[in-house]
Amino acid sequence: MQTLEFFVSAPGKVILHGEHSVVHGQVALAVSLNLRTFLQLQSTSSGEVHINLPNIDTFLSWEITALQSLLAGCKEQGGLKELDADLLKRLREFTRISEDSTDTRSMAVLAFLYMYLSVFAESLASITVSVWSELPTGAGLGSSAAYNVCLSAALLSARGNISNPLTPQQESARWSKEEMELINRWAFMGEKIIHGNPSGVDNAVGTWGGFLRYHAGNISPLSWVPVLRILLTNTKVPRSTKVLVSGVKDKINKFPSVLKPVLESVSAVSCVCEQTLTEMAERGPSAEHYNILEELIDINQHHLNVMGVGHSSLDTLCRVTLARGLHSKLTGAGGGGCGITLLRPETDTSVIQSTVEELKACGFDCWETSIGAPGVQQHSSAALSQHILKILSSY
Amino acid sequence: RAPMQTLEFFVSAPGKVILHGEHSVVHGQVALAVSLNLRTFLQLQSTSSGEVHINLPNIDTFLSWEITALQSLLAGCKDADLLKRLREFTRISEDSTDTRSMAVLAFLYMYLSVFAESLASITVSVWSELPTGAGLGSSAAYNVCLSAALLSARGNISNPLTPQQESARWSKEEMELINRWAFMGEKIIHGNPSGVDNAVGTWGGFLRYHAGNISPLSWVPVLRILLTNTKVPRSTKVLVSGVKDKINKFPSVLKPVLESVSAVSCVCEQTLTEMAERGPSAEHYNILEELIDINQHHLNVMGVGHSSLDTLCRVTLARGLHSKLTGAGGGGCGITLLRPETDTSVIQSTVEELKACGFDCWETSIGAPGVQQHSSAALSQHILKILSSY
Repeated sequence: MQTLEFFVSAPGKVILHGEHSVVHGQVALAVSLNLRTFLQLQSTSSGEVHINLPNIDTFLSWEITALQSLLAGCKEQGGLKELDADLLKRLREFTRISEDSTDTRSMAVLAFLYMYLSVFAESLASITVSVWSELPTGAGLGSSAAYNVCLSAALLSARGNISNPLTPQQESARWSKEEMELINRWAFMGEKIIHGNPSGVDNAVGTWGGFLRYHAGNISPLSWVPVLRILLTNTKVPRSTKVLVSGVKDKINKFPSVLKPVLESVSAVSCVCEQTLTEMAERGPSAEHYNILEELIDINQHHLNVMGVGHSSLDTLCRVTLARGLHSKLTGAGGGGCGITLLRPETDTSVIQSTVEELKACGFDCWETSIGAPGVQQHSSAALSQHILKILSSY
Repeated sequence: RAPMQTLEFFVSAPGKVILHGEHSVVHGQVALAVSLNLRTFLQLQSTSSGEVHINLPNIDTFLSWEITALQSLLAGCKDADLLKRLREFTRISEDSTDTRSMAVLAFLYMYLSVFAESLASITVSVWSELPTGAGLGSSAAYNVCLSAALLSARGNISNPLTPQQESARWSKEEMELINRWAFMGEKIIHGNPSGVDNAVGTWGGFLRYHAGNISPLSWVPVLRILLTNTKVPRSTKVLVSGVKDKINKFPSVLKPVLESVSAVSCVCEQTLTEMAERGPSAEHYNILEELIDINQHHLNVMGVGHSSLDTLCRVTLARGLHSKLTGAGGGGCGITLLRPETDTSVIQSTVEELKACGFDCWETSIGAPGVQQHSSAALSQHILKILSSY
């Protein structure tokens, strides 16, 4: 491995339509969120592996020799079909992270070490990895997947398993289709370590970016989709995804004749949305396209309330934005959590600003950002903002 | 026929709300209509004045006609002809659709048709608790009262009230006749009505309406509600065609929603039946409330919501009460379910807050009896006073 330093980033994720009904066999649309996670990898000659995660106040290092011993007598990595349970067990013992520990720091460390050891295997190298994310954790926005995708791309690239696609003139570059498949598969392993039984949608979105259709376990990236401006709001109302998901299941069982058509309707919303987005990208966006997107958002928000995952904080979000002619829906688990608001190209900056202010006055966090942005990319240092470069360079 | 005796009697009929299924019923789904215990009261007196008087204080209408003048309208007259002659006689053109004109035409048509060869001097006075034009069945309640009173006065149906009773209902067959005449009055006023309003006014209780078939539900409870009129004006025609347009625009999205509304009506019907058969429980009320919330969302999806209705829902929900629009939407009226245990002070503060929003609000009930005959003792002082002043 040459002496190198490079930067990658990957986007977060929101569900545009289909949350809660997708687990009941319906179509969902997931989309990349342009709040990104940035990773810097440096090769060193320290004989150590360092990881710096300032978002979660985590700064750790390990001697390579110590890590080497974990691999001794380890079974041959059996491809990328399943996790190496033995390696994971040894890692848990080594880091003293028990089976019960599911805190963010523990999970981030395990995923990193597992991927590092698996990718570098016989030729462990001294590297320092620093990660900074714009994404809040635990908000259903795909922060762990963005992390795993960055790790995956950076480690594979550093090891030489995939290329360094960035040419000297470029600010940003993407990997080839085959390379992205590999990145995605490793990222999915990291997700399995952190989440146990993830769908794979989050890491797919982090890898490919843009919009993805998810249906009955099949993930298909949509080609030709536009980038849409949005407000992302975090109501910061805590909730248990598990409880909400089982609540929906209970409601369906209680009123099957009432709820099943609603699930069908949500699927149709996802499909009509997909058609509309495809038209927008192929023919160019029109006002009528945006009208349709807004109507679908409103309809789906009502369906989610019918399913029982609404919350007064989300009603507030919808009301505040609607008063300014903007349309919102919850994204993800509901019961609080996050919501997205569609911004039209002609939406005035002052309107956006006053909306953001009012939402913040409600106690919410609020970002102006976009969806449909690129997936994992390699960047030159010039492509990064001063702010992010400063943070990453301090390690 | 026996000659008409000197008499005075009182009848009343309830208004109507749609509990579930508005807007989807026209697309072949199941709807539940229910009687609203805001009622229209009618007093009929036989006189010897040689005149027919009608007093409608709600709409400031006090008219009378010489019987001899009315008699001439019947000469050689076919039914289809009668309405035309009446319009000429009263100088109410085809274009006039105001409440007064419609009420007068319906009355005269029914009077002349029922009394036919033996026109009698009568005075009819009507007072209603129902706001007009709010989709609450006020014209049907009026027509049902007229129908029952005129048929009874003529002797075509009985006077079911016995001396000891305060209120009494007619037999099943008699109610069929009352309903058919009331429907004629509705056709005069509305052109092409569904017949649900007059059926509810006649039979009371809950009715299932599906694909043109009206079936009264037996064994249903009376439920306490708040009825709120946002007083936001809207065109029913525009709202109905708006829903049709939306269904055509997004058929795959909207058709399942219509299905779901039908299912809501059916589950509600089952729940009401259980409540009446086994006695109401807390869980029954929970289900009724969930169904109200679900249907209100579906109506918003169909595009007939309004910010005033959102306000109604929010204000009531803050007190744990569940509401939905009833009827056309886009403003208009809403109903709020009250549970048996709902505290009077909670109801009072809710009503106050809704009135402070500029709405009208009544505490009343649904599922109450249909058309009835009453003794004067059964009527409130207030209503008796109004009717007796003519």
